[in-house]
Amino acid sequence: MTTVRVRNATKTFGRTTALDDVTLDAGPGVTGLLGPNGAGKTTLLRVIATVLAPDRGAVTLMGRDPARPSDRTRIRERLGYLPQDAGFHRGFTVFEFIDYVAILKEMTDRRPRHDEVRRVIALTGLAAVSAKRIRALSGGMRRRVGLAQALLGDPDLLVLDEPTVGLDPEQRLRFREMISQAGEGRTVVMSSHQTEDITALCATIAVIHQGRARFTGTPAELTARADGRVWTDERRSPAAITAWRTGDGTYRNVGDPPARAELIPPTLEDAYLLLMGEPGREVTHS
Amino acid sequence: MTAWHLDPEAIRRYARGSVPPGLAASAEAHLMGCATCREVIGALVDPRRAEAIWHEVADRVDAPRRSGPERMLVRLGAGEATARLVAATPTLRGPWLLAVAGVLALAAWAAQVDDRFLLMFLVVAPLGPLAGVAGAFAGGLDPTREIGLATPYSGLRLLLIRTVAVLAVTTPIVALAGLALPGSWWPAVAWLLPTAGLTGAALALTSRLTPVVAVGVVATAWLLVTAPAAVAGRADLAFGPGAQVVWLAVALGGGLGLAVTRNAVSIKLGRSA
Repeated sequence: MTTVRVRNATKTFGRTTALDDVTLDAGPGVTGLLGPNGAGKTTLLRVIATVLAPDRGAVTLMGRDPARPSDRTRIRERLGYLPQDAGFHRGFTVFEFIDYVAILKEMTDRRPRHDEVRRVIALTGLAAVSAKRIRALSGGMRRRVGLAQALLGDPDLLVLDEPTVGLDPEQRLRFREMISQAGEGRTVVMSSHQTEDITALCATIAVIHQGRARFTGTPAELTARADGRVWTDERRSPAAITAWRTGDGTYRNVGDPPARAELIPPTLEDAYLLLMGEPGREVTHS
Repeated sequence: MTAWHLDPEAIRRYARGSVPPGLAASAEAHLMGCATCREVIGALVDPRRAEAIWHEVADRVDAPRRSGPERMLVRLGAGEATARLVAATPTLRGPWLLAVAGVLALAAWAAQVDDRFLLMFLVVAPLGPLAGVAGAFAGGLDPTREIGLATPYSGLRLLLIRTVAVLAVTTPIVALAGLALPGSWWPAVAWLLPTAGLTGAALALTSRLTPVVAVGVVATAWLLVTAPAAVAGRADLAFGPGAQVVWLAVALGGGLGLAVTRNAVSIKLGRSA
């Protein structure tokens, strides 16, 4: 079942092409967009969140066309969105802010709306700070507030832009757990430039670079692309696209190995670096 | 652990909610420390009633406190949700309103010092409310704009709620500044219909443009129309009786245009996205 269907989407801002003929499908589970800063991930997520319309191409979300006003409203009723730079009315308490977003989500009856606000606050572990003003919260807690508002109304499609950015390792693990739970039974599309997050969470990934989808498939398929192309050596190899000194003093080289190189199993990060280092190659797995 | 327990009849009456408040308070004090009586009463209380009471308590404890303006709006008949949306309008905050009041006070003061600046006040006056409408949807001022854009709340309704709220607050500020103008009462009110006309025109453009751009287009057109008249000292060209009829027509036309294109109104991200 395909919840998100993007076909040949192109979006430009002045002379900048943010999306260039991107095609993407996403169904239940977590789909990850991986790519460097400025790659076009945010623009693609904004298109999926119905916040931006592509200049060209077709988008279908939950079987509806977001270009049609009535369909767009129906989509938004079943959509949760956490933008990259989610802003807050900092004078609001956590409860007040989430309640405000719940009003925008057309939850007009006060009692059930407050019940729903309490539900997402409990789900994201914010109960202890529910009455605190958002300006008094840490960055990680604010990110949780952002996730909580996205979960209002138990949406079928959850769009999360860099949900783990700026979080410390422990907070990132907690966030992964929450996103993983959110992905059970619904479609989550998230972006990250952290390959660990993508490896841990996503069944499907798309690597976006310079507005184009360089790869779509599973993390295992992307990792497999680096088979036989990662090796260790006592020095940085001139054949490597990228190499770095590891904790044990040897160099991890990624690229085209020389003869008799000591090959090691690749990681998703290796494959991602290879893909970024070879922008001409585009691979799409079905 | 206590040595005594509540009378079974008292427990039944308490569970039904039919004991007087004094006895209820004393029963509750005992129940706090007596697991045995709590167990007994647990079996007697209707789960639906317990659920309803719990909801009532939870709602009173953590429900958002209404701000002063929200309470006033609810008293005036606005819905609780609408009052909250108005209260979150960024250009209804103190610093913004102070800035608008400051600019207008300066313009009014200049007009008092030299009545050639009277026209400057009339040119500036409609821009205050208009800028407030634009600012209500500007990304830099509305921190939750992008979250709001992905919600099903009607763009038209939000546009109208915020526009009315901004006009309701800024128009009296402009009117107060107008009272400080020298000469006849006419300059103090001559900005009203132009303000209505410019707002109507901006609203009509929101089916195609973002509110910020729509206001920018209208404000630029306004300056192009009024600046030459101001330089030439011909207030009547922009603010005379004939011009007032034109502004009234623009306001009505804008309203009509908004009504016709109401289904196409959708608050959008600007190019900065």
